[in-house]
Amino acid sequence: MNTVSRLWRSGWTVRLALLILLAVATLAVAGPAIAPQDPLAQDAASALQEPSWAHLLGTDYLGRDVLSRLFAGAPASLLSALAAAAIGLVLGALPGALSAFVPRVGEWLALRVVDALLALPFILFAIVFAALLGNGLPQATLAIGILVAPGFFRIARAATLRVRDSPYIDAATYLGASAWWVLSRHVWRQVAPNLVVAAVSALGGALLAVASLTFLGIGVQPPAPTWGGMLSSDLGYLGQRPWGPLAPALAIVVTVGALNVVADAARDVLGADAPARQKEAVRV
Amino acid sequence: MTIVTAEAPPAPAIGAEPRVRSAVPVLRTVLATLATAVAVFLLATFATFALGAASGSNPAAVALGEVATQADIDRLNHQFGLDRPFLVRYLDWIAGAVTGQLGTSWFTGIPVADSIAQAFPVSLSIAAGATIIALVGGFAGGVLAAVTRGGVVDRLITLLSTVAATVPAFVAAIGLILLFAYAIPLFPVAGYTPPDKSVGAWLLCLVLPSAALSLDAGADIARQLRTSLVGTLGENFIVGARVHGLGPARIVFRHALPIASGPALSTLGVHAPRLVGGAVITEVIFGMPGLGQLANRSALQGDVPVVQGVLLVTIAVIVAVGAVLNLVISRAGGTERSAA
Amino acid sequence: MSELSQITAPAPTADAVSVSPHGGTALGPSFDEGSLVRPAAVEASDLVIAAADGSLLVHGVSVSVRPGEALGIVGESGSGKTLTCRALLGILPPGLSVTGGTVRVDGVDLTGAGEREWRDVRGTRIGAVFQDPASYLNPAMPIGAQLEETLRVTARVPRRQARERARELLDDLGIRRVDLVLRQRVAHLSGGMLQRVLIAMALAADPAVLIADEATTALDVTVQAELLDLLGRLRAERGLALVLVSHDLAVVAQVCERVQVFRDGRVVEAGATSRVLRAPGHPYTRELLRAHAAYGLERFLA
Repeated sequence: MNTVSRLWRSGWTVRLALLILLAVATLAVAGPAIAPQDPLAQDAASALQEPSWAHLLGTDYLGRDVLSRLFAGAPASLLSALAAAAIGLVLGALPGALSAFVPRVGEWLALRVVDALLALPFILFAIVFAALLGNGLPQATLAIGILVAPGFFRIARAATLRVRDSPYIDAATYLGASAWWVLSRHVWRQVAPNLVVAAVSALGGALLAVASLTFLGIGVQPPAPTWGGMLSSDLGYLGQRPWGPLAPALAIVVTVGALNVVADAARDVLGADAPARQKEAVRV
Repeated sequence: MTIVTAEAPPAPAIGAEPRVRSAVPVLRTVLATLATAVAVFLLATFATFALGAASGSNPAAVALGEVATQADIDRLNHQFGLDRPFLVRYLDWIAGAVTGQLGTSWFTGIPVADSIAQAFPVSLSIAAGATIIALVGGFAGGVLAAVTRGGVVDRLITLLSTVAATVPAFVAAIGLILLFAYAIPLFPVAGYTPPDKSVGAWLLCLVLPSAALSLDAGADIARQLRTSLVGTLGENFIVGARVHGLGPARIVFRHALPIASGPALSTLGVHAPRLVGGAVITEVIFGMPGLGQLANRSALQGDVPVVQGVLLVTIAVIVAVGAVLNLVISRAGGTERSAA
Repeated sequence: MSELSQITAPAPTADAVSVSPHGGTALGPSFDEGSLVRPAAVEASDLVIAAADGSLLVHGVSVSVRPGEALGIVGESGSGKTLTCRALLGILPPGLSVTGGTVRVDGVDLTGAGEREWRDVRGTRIGAVFQDPASYLNPAMPIGAQLEETLRVTARVPRRQARERARELLDDLGIRRVDLVLRQRVAHLSGGMLQRVLIAMALAADPAVLIADEATTALDVTVQAELLDLLGRLRAERGLALVLVSHDLAVVAQVCERVQVFRDGRVVEAGATSRVLRAPGHPYTRELLRAHAAYGLERFLA
């Protein structure tokens, strides 16, 4: 919480971003409950309407209230993005840290595996993964998590290498510290800030990936709403309702933007020295 | 007056060409890059193949659908060689791939290589277009921002870069469609015209998808170039060049830029996987019959050979591009200090 | 003080420069009195340099060098000597600017001049070499290409003749195996070699003045001596005016007939080298001389 208060104080953009994230998090947890109307209620008569008092964001091509769909679709997109980032963290960080201590050959191989994962075309692979293993959101989440892991691997590895090569580790060992103690105290202190920053920006990337996949129809069980799915259907009706895509697009972009802003600020506050953006692994 | 002799590096013979002597380290770099590329390629294709094998899809299910009986499944499995051990199938597949044999579609029976050959130029056109736009735009923006450092132009470019980096390709694509289909009808928003039909139409239909795809890479290149160019322009040898009377244009383009381009080019390398294989969304939005659409459709159908083939080709291109970029960057380096 | 007093002893009738390594015969007058009425090759009058926040770094400094003359500038780091030189070249670091006084190079008034006007003057009327020669050359290009570029662009030598001219220049500066050297990059050449190349580039367009800012500081003592000899020869051959900046009084004493002492952005003493060394007026100058004497080589030779 100390970190959050420091973040809060570091500028108005960060403050705005944090508030946005708070709102988004609320949606993620309670979205369907706060939706003003039933997101699935169709009303063909009032399809493709402009925003009005009855429907604050208008209606889609089946007459469903856009605002409610936005709220109801939040958990699916947000929670699976969170899960994907978590999977990536777990799969990537520990091997990354350990890779600094294994012998040459193993290290080279591990690095090549990471390179291989990074060479895989992200979205293409995620689509294929999800589609071939069952067209559901859990598979998509797993795919994204695996593809995000290399980023965490590299960051954890870089931070651990810096620690490993610094003299005070030698000093600690001479003084009788065990490997576990060294790991848990020194390595963790160096690695943790970088991982936190990476996790926040990976979250943004994962959200984009989830949105892309649901846009393409992976992991979506209509008529359940998802932000990406809403974009996809809006695309078909651009002629009648050109501002249609604005709502889900803004929701996605604003959330991702807020996450990036917080990631940058966290980098300064926590003193993490790795680049804040995990550009490599997580781009759509 | 004392005479100073040239302090040449240990030379076997007088007048020996420095270039010949430095060939060995270059060769070593090339071999190392090749070894890495091959290793990465094999690992990635192995993962792809394992994915296909794990999918539980089979030719009978794809071709015959729900009416397939167990006998059908076994028959078609045998016909496609799927009852052999996993490693045998993998090696067979890779060996075939090197000679251009990628199997047959379970759905249509068309050789995978043919479908890919048809879809590849489309994706390549979009990727090439996006790369060109990203490079030109990124370099122009980066140079402008660096030389007007701190000024209005710099801040504007930085702002644009941040926006471009945050907006995902598909949102940008939709925005572009809105702008150029409904507001100013200038470019086609769907469909693909091959260049042998009409080069003009081909170029036009590429503009929007390439632009949408290039935003992220272009923004990153611009930011990276700005940072490294600002750094390079602060070096002593730039002061030296100024003092010798060289003009700003010459200093920036002949001296600073070649040295500062390295990190920006490697940024492009990082984006290459996305540009090459990740054009899926863009292809779908703009209705382009490229590799992405092919893979998407086949994956949803469970047509494993096609999916594996597309991934293999994409991975091969990405690995090759990455290797070439690595070599170019390592040659463009060379900021060593004096011997004394 | 023995070595320095050797240099300051009044000369017999020398009318040419007789320069020699430490501990030789004295300097004679090296400019004719007529040059006193010629305009200065480069001068700054009451120069004031301020930082972006308004604080003054150089408080009204006046420096002038006449054609063919050698001026020494001594002072510790932060005394403003480098900033003054940079102002004479128009290359003040961003954030710093000349807020008072005038700058004239070879008769051209460049106070408040724009980059284009400065470019006309740099290399053609005034040249400079600095400390750490390796960092002042492009690490990715062969030095021959860089020298030729300066010849083509600044000295307007036609492309075809540039290579030949580059060879001549390096040969004249005492470099053997010129062709091999021209092909090398920065990393393969020694500091002394690189400084010669930089001197060649600075003098390519035959300027009237050469500023040498701590040009020999980072080099071996023997190399330093060779370079100082070289500068002396160039002065005699081309009538080149020299501004030699150094924290080392002995270097300045060997080459320059006038010296100015800088401290905290001001000139605290100026005059003929022989006079300043023999009879320093300012307490700071006296301190400098004392320190040089106390830590000088003579202690171990006596």
